[in-house]
Parts: sequence; C-alpha cells; structure tokens
Amino acid sequence: MSHLRDLQLRFQDYLVDGSEAIEADIVSTDNALAEHRLGTYYNAYRIRLIDALATDFSALQQYLGREAFENLILDYLHHYPSTRPSVRWVGRHLSDYLQQHYDSEDAEFLRELAQYEWAQASVFDAAASDQLVQLEYMAQVPVETWPELRFTFKPAIEWVDLYWNVPQIEQTCDRDEAMPDKQRAEFPQRWLLWRREFKTHWRSLEVHEAWALEQAFNGANFADICEGLLEWVDAEQVALTAAGFLKQWISDQLLTRLHDS
Amino acid sequence: MTPAQSKPFLGFGLGLRAEHYQDVLERKPKNIDWFEILSENYMIDGGKPLYFLDAIRADYPMVMHGVSMSLGSTDELDFNYLEQLKALIDRIEPCWFSDHLCWTGVDHKNMHDLLPLPYTEEAVIHVADRISRVQDFIGSQMLIENLSSYITYCEDVMPEWEFLSAVAERADCYLLLDVNNIYVSSFNHHYDPIDYLKGVPVDRVWQHHLAGHTNDGNLIIDTHDHDIIDPVWQLYAETARRFGPVSTMIERDGNIPELDAVLAELDQARRIAEPFYRS
Repeated sequence: MSHLRDLQLRFQDYLVDGSEAIEADIVSTDNALAEHRLGTYYNAYRIRLIDALATDFSALQQYLGREAFENLILDYLHHYPSTRPSVRWVGRHLSDYLQQHYDSEDAEFLRELAQYEWAQASVFDAAASDQLVQLEYMAQVPVETWPELRFTFKPAIEWVDLYWNVPQIEQTCDRDEAMPDKQRAEFPQRWLLWRREFKTHWRSLEVHEAWALEQAFNGANFADICEGLLEWVDAEQVALTAAGFLKQWISDQLLTRLHDS
Repeated sequence: MTPAQSKPFLGFGLGLRAEHYQDVLERKPKNIDWFEILSENYMIDGGKPLYFLDAIRADYPMVMHGVSMSLGSTDELDFNYLEQLKALIDRIEPCWFSDHLCWTGVDHKNMHDLLPLPYTEEAVIHVADRISRVQDFIGSQMLIENLSSYITYCEDVMPEWEFLSAVAERADCYLLLDVNNIYVSSFNHHYDPIDYLKGVPVDRVWQHHLAGHTNDGNLIIDTHDHDIIDPVWQLYAETARRFGPVSTMIERDGNIPELDAVLAELDQARRIAEPFYRS
C-alpha cells in the first residue's frame, strides 16, 4: 500500500507543482516520451479547472481577460487545491484568496466581483422550497400574534455587501455589452440575491431593510424588528414600515413560513 | 436497482446533457431507450438540474455514472460522497451505478481527472477491496469502466484487460466497457484492441460507452467533443459480435451538437449492433 501511495503522491505532486520525480515511473515510447505523456495530464488538470471556474466567474474572466484570469486561477489553485469530489465547489475560496493573496490595486473590486458571482452560483442550485408564504396569508394572521411573528426564509437566498458597482458590471458582461467604469461608493451597499423558480433575481437594499432582513433571517420576531427600526423610522411609522418589508419579502417569494413560536 | 445475476439489456441510450434538457422534455424522442447521468452533476440541493432530472426520469430509465469515487486512491474511501451518491440512487432509482477504474486524487486533494493505476497484484487487491466496500455500503453491485490513458507505469506486470478482469472477478462487480477508450489506449500504448476484447469476461460486461476523441498525432486524447470515427465503429461491431446484447450509450461532453445529430449517431450504433444480436 505504501508503495502505491508513494507513486500516487509523486504523480499528484507533478500535476500540482510540476515535480519531475514521477517521470522515472513512466514508460517512454518512440512516439511519445514520458514527459510528453505526463504533460497531457498536467495540461488537462489546469485547463479543466480554469474552464470550470471561467463558467462560475464569467464576469471576472471578462474583466481580467483570459490570460490574466488563467494566471489568477493557477495561483489560486496553488493556494486552494480542490478537495471536494465535485468541481462545483472548486471556486468557493476565490474571494478569500483575492483578499489574502492578490496584490493589486484592483484586489478589493475583484474580490467583490468574485463574491457576487459565487453568490449567484449558490442560489442557482440551493435547495428548492415547496411551500412559499402567499400575500393572502398576511391578512389572516391574528392581530395579537403579530409581535411574536417569526420568519423562515427559503434556502436560495444570499446577500453580499459591496463598495463597488459590481452588479452593473456583472450584468453588462452577462449581456456582452460595453462595461461601465467601475465606481466605489463611500459606504458598502447590501445586495440581495435569490432564486425564484429557476431564475436568479437581485436587488439592492436600503440600510434599514438590510438590517431588518438580517434580523428576521437570524430569528428575531416582528416586535424586535420594529424596536430596532426606531433608529431609522418614527415610532408611529415603524410597524407600517416593518409590515411593508414583510409584504415585499413575501412578494419576492423569500419566505417559506410565518410562525409565532 | 436491477437484481444481481440477470444481465439486463436497456437498448441504446444517451448521456443526459443540460443542452438537451428542453428538447428531450418537449419531444420525448422514442429512439432514446434510456439515459445515463453524470452523478456529480446532480449531487446538489436543488435548482434547474434536479428539476429536469426528475422530469426526464419520469419518461426514461436511467443509469448513474460517476467520476469522483476515486476507487484506486490510497486515501480512505469518502463516505460523505457515498452518502450523497446513495441519496441520489434513492431519488432516481437507476438500473445501476458505475464509476471508473482509476484514482482522482490523494492526500485529500482532487485532481478532477481519471488517473490510471499501475497494473500490479497490489493494485488489484487494493481497488477490488474498495469496490467491495462500496457495493456493501450501497447495497448492490456496481459497474467499473476502463479508462483512456496516456501513460503506463514501468512496474506494470499485466496488460490492462487482465487487470480490469482480475479486479472485476475479485470484487464481483460488472464492467462498463468503453469501446472508444479501448481504441484510444490501444493507439497510445501500441496493442491490438481485439486482444483487449478477447481478454474480458463476456458475462461481466453490462454496458458500453461510445464517444469521439482528438488525435494530436502522437497520442489520442479522450475529449468526447467529436463524432465517433469509423475505426471505433468497426471496433464496436466486433464488440457487439463478441458480447451480444449490451446496453450501449453515446457520451458527448464538448462541442455538443443539436439532439438530432447525437440521435443520428445513436441510430448508427443500433444499425451496427442489432444484426449481431439476432444471429
């Protein structure tokens, strides 16, 4: 077993780092030397994963250009080799890599673009929700139970906080249109992404809706949310504002359950 | 899944690809007898791929084909992966499931490639033991597939077909014999593909793959992005003559054409194989 393991480690070291020790284990023939034969695997490893990540991060590739994107991914794979059976998850650390290892004045923008595209991929194949709360249900909730009302969201929801105008840039890439200039805001903007049937939707959130959504997502009840919203809204308007958010979340098909326990 | 010891014949199938989802659902082509799915593409929580999988499964028999079991790896078996595989098997109730006679990574890394094993007694025992454990865990026998390969190891002590057969006998599993892979590897390693066919136990072969490839002059690469070439069709005819009715499907993973173009290739497979099945 240890012999087979050593052989596999030598082969894998070659694929990952180009370590040549494996060449002595491989048969050469007149038409194809060991180096050429091994090179088929060396190139395939890189091309396969670059292509997979170019699908998950198509806007990032378009922004950088193919050559720079390839170089980025090769360095990323050096820091974060794939550890899961499905290639679906290879890109899950790309935004972390860009934050920690990518030395460029563009790093923050690229990190946010990667983060946004990964959020899109995450909602694409998140679990489906059979039952969604309908707007008619709001009218049926007894008035006395509203303060204790809590919310269960469907799995196909992500949010990201972005300084840069990443969603606009991503969309022009998706439509193959001219890319707008990138712009950085003074404060980050929260963007909500969700899947409705099979289509990914997204919208920006005002700061008080972003706060309320996060609280609701983490288990706060309607009364807690109203109390917190007082930081932005007058007392006489706060219940109406919170109910307005709730109505919007139901219209967006974000909620699978309202409950008072 | 299909009970052991009865060699089923599903007819002529296709690899299910996202490019054809809509067409298949709308037209429900009668000349596709079954579909093979790539298991890992559906080991996800939800969304469009699972929707189409369930909808198409309602109309067609399916088999499951994996690329990440890493049966030959010297890492421990990945039971998280096997749990997910079992859940998918429970969901779509395939006729059988398969993976490759290879390793895909070691030291908890995944190279996402089908890497060949050395053809040694040590490797036979190692991989057969792991196949047995997978079969025990899933609760049914599996099929293992021969690779296209671009290297052989200096330490090999037997030809590939002997290795494949020895593993199948020891693990008591079945074989997915990929005709294109035999052609590719016979070109790359300079052997007669007929010797390969002669060396494989007829009763264990339950499925065939057919596919196209790319020839770089010195090596043939198993790219699944071209039409099937005549020498592979000729080898398939010999395969049909030797093995009799075996469920056959076409894999297309790159440069994917319209469904009708792949169906035309599938009809060609039928025309080649069926005369041998009647004789």
